Amino acid sequence: MSDKFVRAIRIDEIAPGGMKTVEIDGREIVICNSGGAYYAVQRRCGHMNAALELGTLDGQYLTCGMHCAQFDIVTGQALSGPVPADLGNESPPPKLAEFLQHAGMQMKHVRTESIRTYETKLEAGWVLVAP
Amino acid sequence: MKAVSIYTLSTCPWCRKTKKFFAEHNIPYTYIDYDLADQATQNRISQELDAAGATGFPFVKIGDEVISGYQPALYSSLLNL
Amino acid sequence: MDAESRKKALHYFFDKVVDPLGFKFTPDVELMDFLLEQEVMLEGKHGIPFCPCQPLRHDRARDMQIVCPCIPFHRKHFDAIRRCWCGLFVHKDVIDPDSLPQLSPKDVGLE
Repeated sequence: MSDKFVRAIRIDEIAPGGMKTVEIDGREIVICNSGGAYYAVQRRCGHMNAALELGTLDGQYLTCGMHCAQFDIVTGQALSGPVPADLGNESPPPKLAEFLQHAGMQMKHVRTESIRTYETKLEAGWVLVAP
Repeated sequence: MKAVSIYTLSTCPWCRKTKKFFAEHNIPYTYIDYDLADQATQNRISQELDAAGATGFPFVKIGDEVISGYQPALYSSLLNL
Repeated sequence: MDAESRKKALHYFFDKVVDPLGFKFTPDVELMDFLLEQEVMLEGKHGIPFCPCQPLRHDRARDMQIVCPCIPFHRKHFDAIRRCWCGLFVHKDVIDPDSLPQLSPKDVGLE
């Protein structure tokens, strides 16, 4: 166990299923309350770096709000990649079409990597994190 | 003997059972794995399924009869096994 | 991405969806495992866990109807045959899933 634990949030700050971002030692870390147990993961999604606290937490599974990549907050493991967006059936205006084609071409090579997890512990009403 | 041809998916266990059924009864059959076929073939098969009111695989044709789903008892009866 | 972890996660999510619909995972563990593995593969390929036994039509509206669990889109049919098409899910009271034939909507007098 690391000896560099730092106070992150108070225990009553987030309800089960909730998440909150803190910055410790220059690192952006998301504290997760999974059914009363606290976990901490890097803020950046392992797909395209979106802020994970804007996603949803169900049990130990975090779904990123940007493209729906899913992660296990206990192990940090990436479980699934992005879900293709529904762009509808209408043809977009030419400039938008060009942008979407370019973005799509770039995005298809992006892998979804596992995310870093941080040790947590509870002490005196606080959730502590080892950054 | 009635001609047997089937449309299947490479990911479907019931399709495997269907192929196994015909193989074990020494019934020759032709098959197309829908998911491995080209777009034109997929479109054709898709239309055939819609026309027959079938929603999934396996899609079995025995002579003029069409059977949707793994139904060995029906296959046997249609082939007089 | 590890298939076993993904199967476990899919199991967790799917269970919560099918339970209020009156379904459960098939007691045929080998079949369940095989189907979930196919879905993990399909999800890896398409980004979405599609049914391993139904055709992708390459039309978003139609393809959404075979995203697992697809029970809500085939409710009458699946309730009539007491299983979903690929057999991953069965009615809660089913003990012997092998006894449930794979019947099409027409076979049970629907559409």
